[in-house]
Amino acid sequence: MAGEPLPTSTPPSGRTSREPSRARATAVASRYARYARLLRTQIRASLLLGLQYRADFVLDATVNVFWTGAAILPLVIVFQSRASIAGWSFGEALMVTGWFTFLEGVLDGAINPSVADVVDHVRKGTLDFVLLKPADAQFLVSTTRLQPWRATNVLSAVAIFAWGFHLLGRAPTPGAVGLATLSMLAAVAVLYSLKTLAVSAAFYFVRVDNLTHLFDSVFDAARWPSNIFRGVVSVVFTFVIPLALMTTYPAEALLGSLPIRSLFGALGGAVVALTLSRAVWNRAIAHYTSAGG
Amino acid sequence: MIRVRALRKHFDVHERPPGVAAAFRSLFRRQTKRVTAVDGIDLDIAPGERVGFLGPNGAGKTTTLKVLSGLLHPTSGEVAVDGHEPRRREDAFLKKIMLVLGQKQQLLWDLPPAETFELNRAVYDVPREQYRATMRELTELLELGDLVNKPARTLSLGERMKCELAAALIHRPRLLFLDEPTIGLDVSMQAVVRDFVKRYNEQNGATLILTSHYMEDVARLCPRVVVIDRGQIVYDGALEALVERTRPDKRIVLRFAREVDARDLESLGQLVRHGAGESVLQVPKDAVNGVVGRVLAELPVSDLTVESAPLEEVMSEVFARGRGSR
Repeated sequence: MAGEPLPTSTPPSGRTSREPSRARATAVASRYARYARLLRTQIRASLLLGLQYRADFVLDATVNVFWTGAAILPLVIVFQSRASIAGWSFGEALMVTGWFTFLEGVLDGAINPSVADVVDHVRKGTLDFVLLKPADAQFLVSTTRLQPWRATNVLSAVAIFAWGFHLLGRAPTPGAVGLATLSMLAAVAVLYSLKTLAVSAAFYFVRVDNLTHLFDSVFDAARWPSNIFRGVVSVVFTFVIPLALMTTYPAEALLGSLPIRSLFGALGGAVVALTLSRAVWNRAIAHYTSAGG
Repeated sequence: MIRVRALRKHFDVHERPPGVAAAFRSLFRRQTKRVTAVDGIDLDIAPGERVGFLGPNGAGKTTTLKVLSGLLHPTSGEVAVDGHEPRRREDAFLKKIMLVLGQKQQLLWDLPPAETFELNRAVYDVPREQYRATMRELTELLELGDLVNKPARTLSLGERMKCELAAALIHRPRLLFLDEPTIGLDVSMQAVVRDFVKRYNEQNGATLILTSHYMEDVARLCPRVVVIDRGQIVYDGALEALVERTRPDKRIVLRFAREVDARDLESLGQLVRHGAGESVLQVPKDAVNGVVGRVLAELPVSDLTVESAPLEEVMSEVFARGRGSR
């Protein structure tokens, strides 16, 4: 999702031989292979960076467990006085919380650190070095600060799912798991795109922490099933920051109740969001290089 | 290697008068001013050349360097670097160049430089064999030793610059852009960096463009200097010729066995300095022989040397003349 745009030129005439297209396919494949290697190197460096501070590492993991507990607590409190909210039972609502925990891991482990990194680069002017590397700048900044130990959130999420399904007295079907994974991919793509937009703003305003704080506090609402919100709030949460798409859809998919229409909508939305954010990023980079010092 | 024609670069900068009230007003209406950083530069640089960019702060040296490396888009004009248009930043172009900014660093702060090297190896697609050979060579030339395995944050400024250079050279670039590479370094470390850059240039035939505030850097490294002032090239040629042209006068530095009256010296030429230990006379080039002969004959000279004007003075005179003529 962060690779360079693929070559889009079409052969000039109808006499398309197989050779050029095969050559192009090989070129595309080797480009992907190269970026896969790059990603591996970046993850390695991130891991080393994380291990530099062993105390941090342990503390982080502990804090993670605490936050997972904190994410469930409001749910437990609300469901103490009633059996269902907006049609969601406690067990069902746990699916939303599970995906929320998962997404938080993605956000804190892969997206936010690189956002902070870009803002830092812009402020210090070291983005120059990134731009002069013979690799896609968006890919490079998106992968330099991965925090692999945030994968603990995945474990927490799985535990929450297990608890939810235990309460519901059933297990998810393989098909449901597949659809849920698909809709989670769409969610991650949208989340990444929104953050890319915020980062692009850094090229114009330099300081974007307010924007990211706002985003984080809004994102917090994703711990709840989306249909408990009504009125203006629900409009904002659908079109501005599509929280429903982020956690409620994957939860419904896991429960086997997501309309296929919604899934396609989410995937389409993800493609649009990625395309748009890529375009805005490219513009921001052009602005930086034509104005920056 | 490099061909630049009529290069111009403008920046629109926001202008804000001092004071809270003005700051508040500028929230609503921003005033911008157009600043011309580079104002019509023509430049040709051949492969393997070592060229120094000289100029006062804000003259347009770094802007030119950034346009040549593709970091800044020119406002107008034509720029070709080894057959590429830098602003397009094609991979093939980026693999040929390197940029070291003395004021900024690319080393990962918390990790040993070896990790940055490894990252660059992956980014530049350098084959393992070649990487090992390059590292061996760089380690020897820069005397890196085990520096590469200590976290970058624990290194001294000079050690860090050595590692910065190594990190920027892993892909064996053919074109080196060095912006103030010796800034903040002590004299001996400056010499280490200079010697290294020169050897790299000689061994690899790489082209080198350097900007520096230290005249010594430029004098030792660059047979050719380009003097930029207010976005324009005011001189392009050999450094000696520039000194000759700007200050044709020579300086005769004298030490005397016993004290000499200033009046005796003033009749010989312009007395630049007259102190207890040392006196400096400035005389036209043609008159040097005559004056030296007279000094030796008439005064109790214990030591005598003939020098050109110090580079710093030459440069400040070049810039002062540039200002005066406008």
